[in-house]
Amino acid sequence: MSVPRSRILDLMKTQCAIFNTTYNPQRLRLGSRILHQRLKGPSVASYYPPRIGTIAQLRKLYPEDTFIDEKEEDWVEHLNVARSRGKENPKKKRTAAESKKLNKRK
Amino acid sequence: MSQFRAKKLDIGGFINTRNIRDHTKRKVFAENEAERNALRFIIRNTTLPQRVRAQAQLELSKMHCYTRFTQVKNRCIMGGRGRGVFSDFRMARFQFRINAIAGNLPGVRKASW
Repeated sequence: MSVPRSRILDLMKTQCAIFNTTYNPQRLRLGSRILHQRLKGPSVASYYPPRIGTIAQLRKLYPEDTFIDEKEEDWVEHLNVARSRGKENPKKKRTAAESKKLNKRK
Repeated sequence: MSQFRAKKLDIGGFINTRNIRDHTKRKVFAENEAERNALRFIIRNTTLPQRVRAQAQLELSKMHCYTRFTQVKNRCIMGGRGRGVFSDFRMARFQFRINAIAGNLPGVRKASW
């Protein structure tokens, strides 16, 4: 028992409408395969764990609390010691004239 | 490429240049995936005029290499290694062993019979 082609095409059309696929009885290469693929970008981009729990983030989250950053404290203390011994960093030269003076001394 | 790199360190775990670079590539890929797919669709669609498809091919080849998925590589998040990485655990074989024995990986236990 043979089924006429037009009937099969009608069936295909309904199938495509139900399953949301492209009706393509001539089997043309439409590239709809690519549009059907899921985007993998978000899962690819979240491979490495995010950086969480830094002191700066905590300070932003809880502005009313005080957090002590030991590394920063050590650094500030070191700077203060250096300043008291007169070994601080030179002041930043803001104008061209100031930086020229330095060159002349050389 | 430094123009894509985050200005501030944004990944935790083990950090080395290669991991940061790979993370950058992943982010760039995710950003440009839709555009790439659109171009790929135009190229594959044989009902579009040949000129349009050729232009799309040119556009796709002109895109930065970081937008390509083949640039992405699974690296160990605990040791930065690029080889012997179990993709299920995102860890290289030795880091996997250490963490499994330490009990950090739920459901993993040393075989014994």
